[in-house]
Amino acid sequence: MKQKINLKHLHDIPPISISLGTMLWNETGSWRYLRPKYVVKTPPCNEACPAGNDVEGFMVLARQGKFREAWELIKEESPFPGVCGRVCFHPCESSCNRKEYDEALAIHSVERFLADSQGQTRRVRHAHRIRRKEQIAVIGAGPAGLTCAYHLGRMGYGVTVFEAHSAPGGVLRFGIPEYRLPRSIVDHEIQDIQSWGVEIKTNTRIGKDMPFESLSTFQAVFIATGAHESRPLNIDGENLEGVYSGLDLLKRIKGGEKIPLGKKVSVIGGGNVAIDVARSALRLGAESVEILYRRSREEMPAFSQEVEEALREGVKIHFLVSPKKILGDGGKVTGVECIRMKLGEPDESGRKRAVPVEGSSFSMHTDTMITAIGEASDLGFLPQEIPSREGLIQTDEMGFVHVRGYFAGGDAATLDRTVAVAIGSGKKSALAIHEYLQGSWSTKRFESIRVGSKGTISAKKYLHPPKGEANPPVMTFKEINTDYFEHHGRVSDPSLSLEERRGTFHEIHLGLTPEMVEEETQRCFNCGVCNQCDNCWTFCPDMAVKKKKDHYEIDYDYCKGCGICFVECPRGAILLEEEMR
Amino acid sequence: MKKVIEGSHAVSYAVMLSRVQVICAYPITPQTHIVEKLSDLCSTGEMQAKFLKVESEHSAMAGCIGASAVGVRAFTASSSQGLALMHELLHWAAGARLPIVMANVNRSLGAPWNIWCDQTDSLSQRDTGWLQFYCESSQEALDTVIQAYKISEKVSLPSMVVLDAFYLSHTFEPVNIPDKGRVDRFLPPYEPKYRLDPKVPRSFSGLTPPDLFTEMRYQIQEAMEEAKKVILHVDEEFDALFGRRYGLVEGYRLEDAELVLVTSGTAASTARDVIDQYRDDGKPVGLLKVRTFRPFPSEEIRKALKNVSKVAVIDRNISFGMGGIFAEELKSVYGNEEEGPIIFGYIAGLGGRDITRETISGIIEYTFEEDRPKKPSLWPDLRR
Repeated sequence: MKQKINLKHLHDIPPISISLGTMLWNETGSWRYLRPKYVVKTPPCNEACPAGNDVEGFMVLARQGKFREAWELIKEESPFPGVCGRVCFHPCESSCNRKEYDEALAIHSVERFLADSQGQTRRVRHAHRIRRKEQIAVIGAGPAGLTCAYHLGRMGYGVTVFEAHSAPGGVLRFGIPEYRLPRSIVDHEIQDIQSWGVEIKTNTRIGKDMPFESLSTFQAVFIATGAHESRPLNIDGENLEGVYSGLDLLKRIKGGEKIPLGKKVSVIGGGNVAIDVARSALRLGAESVEILYRRSREEMPAFSQEVEEALREGVKIHFLVSPKKILGDGGKVTGVECIRMKLGEPDESGRKRAVPVEGSSFSMHTDTMITAIGEASDLGFLPQEIPSREGLIQTDEMGFVHVRGYFAGGDAATLDRTVAVAIGSGKKSALAIHEYLQGSWSTKRFESIRVGSKGTISAKKYLHPPKGEANPPVMTFKEINTDYFEHHGRVSDPSLSLEERRGTFHEIHLGLTPEMVEEETQRCFNCGVCNQCDNCWTFCPDMAVKKKKDHYEIDYDYCKGCGICFVECPRGAILLEEEMR
Repeated sequence: MKKVIEGSHAVSYAVMLSRVQVICAYPITPQTHIVEKLSDLCSTGEMQAKFLKVESEHSAMAGCIGASAVGVRAFTASSSQGLALMHELLHWAAGARLPIVMANVNRSLGAPWNIWCDQTDSLSQRDTGWLQFYCESSQEALDTVIQAYKISEKVSLPSMVVLDAFYLSHTFEPVNIPDKGRVDRFLPPYEPKYRLDPKVPRSFSGLTPPDLFTEMRYQIQEAMEEAKKVILHVDEEFDALFGRRYGLVEGYRLEDAELVLVTSGTAASTARDVIDQYRDDGKPVGLLKVRTFRPFPSEEIRKALKNVSKVAVIDRNISFGMGGIFAEELKSVYGNEEEGPIIFGYIAGLGGRDITRETISGIIEYTFEEDRPKKPSLWPDLRR
């Protein structure tokens, strides 16, 4: 009844003040000068994830107990949740808005839980909706190559991955110690990639076992051979017995080799390989392990948490120390001569340059010397026309090398050498290869699948373009209505005690229980994404918010533009704009 | 069935006999025994009602308002500070036209603390739109509660049944407790015209604009006027079934009286005794007990006091800056009249001080001696 009731006479008026009709005749929407609007913003975690995971999305599903769907959502972007849940440096957590409130969410722990609880159940061969005729070659079965193969496989392409080693995985299999990443996890996730029809040819080093030119039968080639060569120290004594390359040693340890390292082990370098090898040396029975790093803790490229764990386990780190000469006796290493350093002006990487302090040389004894000052790519197998500079294949952002049909990614194409970045680069190239093969690539399309402005792209957005704004602004902490969130600390990941770690390579972190996942996922702000909390619907004084199956709609005939929904939305998923009439 | 019971319990039995469905109350001396007994009756199953314990009198009345709005019979009881705390919602109950009945046991308001009898608490609620009945005996209290539901439900206004603290609430008297079936015949179930019902969604007591508010207030005034007739009619019906009636006012030995005492509550009982003594001595003195304070029975008072030259009003209450409240209301009855009695206003019995035969005799003597009162309010039992 939209008509206004007119009460003319005293006897028309009911004895009790009650409504006789509705107020629908009064279309209060005409009073509005501010207009609320549902929006989706980019959660900062999603922007920060180099692999392009929809972190906020899987948090929602996990909170609802939909672990399967949450895991499937991750798999839309990355084939490696079990790996990333363990070894990623989780920039998502560093940018989590919740850290401004109490503590960042333990995103990696939830991701790992989802992979561990769901990843081992699927052993089906995926049915393809489309089977495409084009064949693509991928060189290198590391995280970049396998991710590229995975996405192309999902899109229906025939993919063959050529791997020089005896088993696929690259750095995941050979570079990361078992206590951080068990082989079984890598095996399971690679099996899942293979189930999309991806073929992996191991023991096939391109340029040795097969000429590069033989790849010309493929319509596109993705080069992701990684960086496996340890950089030399270029000092005297490097060839003495007892001097090892860090990466090589990790590979041998992962292979199960028992290497006698002596009582005192010294490691040179400040990156993740240095930390990994130092902690491995402790597990192999070294009595003391010392890292020599020429700059200070701040400049260390290793993940901070890993450094902390190494220190807890008993690794000593000597900062501002650089080796000048490895000392030996009878062809065997006995010690190292070092010089003290001081920090100078920043270099081109932005880190402070280490400058030797004159006359500060000193010697120290050691039984084993491990070098881990960085890794380089061996690009010798590449033909001349593939451009490279300073050991890196030159590509555009999507991995295109500007030679028809050739793409590259992972550690061979960037110094930003993390698993997550490698996964992201493999995905970008997979999409770029698809566009290249379909002849439909456009910059606009690429812009539309960006997530924020840190280089992340989304495969899900590519395959299922969302309706709203393509790449909405990133949600800031200031926009969160914290009244709706109780302070609640981050879940602590159960892990082995220091005693339990000694002498074994058993995985340190034990993973969350479903109860812990429930607790942790409830902490998520769901930054800028409506999770149907009903606040707007509850608070709207004009009942102008209408609840639909999976969203809300505003009835602008009655919305007065009071802005209560905007203020009470805990997560900034409502915008208030000036009404333009 | 006749039983010797406490005045408070007379109210409790009346509530049970009225088949009240929701009792929502908060304890306060001297009202507590009423709701304690009701709580017992509910717990033993003798009474089928929801007993809601609440955290304050404000909530107690809010609970009654909610219950009454959905169309069930609701009851509460309070006293003094508790009643004062309810004040806002007393207005609401009347404005929403809800036939709630409450018992108020008259207790003086602090500061300073005092738990004993005076009427200022209920009389302070004079303008809330509640009907007010002042009872003299336990029997009257019981009967008035039952009548009040019938009256309130007919005029859509709430009723307050008022008892003197301790003199009535805590003393034991033989009380005729009526038969259940007969009360049912007298008081049918409450059938409101409008009730909160999710099946018929309406908003109740919503914002009412100036172009309707005056009319809604006028309706309440009309309902109060109508209530005078309804009270008498209901009283007659009650009398027919139970053989007792009370009227709006009750005259005692008014025939040829030159001086009439006007009072209310238990003071009337003492006054009857004193009047008898004066009559025995051949002095033309009578008593008018005012039972119904709201609506104020101006016509009945005028009729009863016709040809009376002096009136002595005993007020167990005080409106500071004016005087006894009954006396002032009585004076207003004659405001537009050419002639009327000289009205003496006496303040007595505040904060539980006894109104004794001597107090009343003193009042009668003074009234006989003086041509007119020397002050607007006279304080006969004041320490000098």
